[in-house]
Amino acid sequence: MGKAIAVHSYKGGTGKTSISSNLAALYAAKGQNVCLLDYDFRAPSIHVLFKTKMNRTLNDYLEEKCEITDALHDLSGKYQTKGRLQVGFANPSTEAMREMITKDRTWEMKALHRTLAAKNTLYDKAKADFLIFDTSPGVSYSSINALASSDFVILVSKLDEFDMEGTKEIVHGIYESLGRKTGLLLNRIPTEQFPMGAGQKELEQSMAKIFKLPFLGVIPCYCDIQANGGKHLFAVEQPKHPFSQALSEVIERVDQQLKTI
Amino acid sequence: MNKQGNKADLAKLLQQVNKNMEALGTKLDRIIDLQESLTRILTPEKKPSYEGLPLDVATLLSLPDHLRKTALALSELGEATATKISEKTGRVRAAESDYLNQLVTKGYVSKRRKGHDVYFYIEAK
Repeated sequence: MGKAIAVHSYKGGTGKTSISSNLAALYAAKGQNVCLLDYDFRAPSIHVLFKTKMNRTLNDYLEEKCEITDALHDLSGKYQTKGRLQVGFANPSTEAMREMITKDRTWEMKALHRTLAAKNTLYDKAKADFLIFDTSPGVSYSSINALASSDFVILVSKLDEFDMEGTKEIVHGIYESLGRKTGLLLNRIPTEQFPMGAGQKELEQSMAKIFKLPFLGVIPCYCDIQANGGKHLFAVEQPKHPFSQALSEVIERVDQQLKTI
Repeated sequence: MNKQGNKADLAKLLQQVNKNMEALGTKLDRIIDLQESLTRILTPEKKPSYEGLPLDVATLLSLPDHLRKTALALSELGEATATKISEKTGRVRAAESDYLNQLVTKGYVSKRRKGHDVYFYIEAK
């Protein structure tokens, strides 16, 4: 049986899409079969990074217009990954985004059931080892549907007060309520704030004390990643890049957590 | 003369009764006001009820922990007996049966009998 991971954050701009896409690519490069699903229907962006012709989208699947396997695009060949890398895109058209914000509660309930059903189909039919959900920030139906369908949540936060305060709130109000195991990943930490040597251990301890969550790592703000955001899949195109290396360490910590579920 | 005197006494008495009635009415009004204020202070604020709404994530998050776990398991399984739910949640069957029936009473879940088994499911409203 595979595992489902949701990448979520309280605020936008924490680097969720970069992290979810690169994690998916790293897992696939290691030989795992991965399905990356863009559940940020309010602001889809994964399609920008993968630049491929979209046939069916995840919107079509949730609208019961196609099967989940029809909404996946196999990009293993493009990135030469050992395992299968399949990506499900959210429809980026304004019309589709507008349509999604008008859905009622009954539709959202069906969307939750479709998402849960997709998980089983992807494990059974697509032989997926990992499902990775990229979510919209904060509390929205699509992101909570993805969280409720996941086994583990990677909570991404920047090191600022706005983000940290909101993050504390959703840990208690959402993840604990849904009974989802969660790990904290600090991302986009400015160079001047980035702890060196023993400072990293201290930061890890203070974060563990504040959030009472397993700590998955701390990633600095890399200017070239910022400048090339949405252009390169660093994990496979530049595996020696410090960002890719940092994510490899994150994967090890995530795997340790998944073993306890 | 006597008759006129009696009439005057009676009129006075009626005026007094009228005054007393007015005073009594004022006191009653004050008692009712006081009672309403006390009721407002002593009655806890009603929380919004989610009962009867679709079992979406917002409803799930509003449920108490024990019911949420059951409802999440049922959402994942689609349709299930109390035994299947207890296998998923790791709790005893009798408890799951009770929680599922509480969800039925609240209108979130429906049930149907198939042979000897009772199946619970979530119906789109």
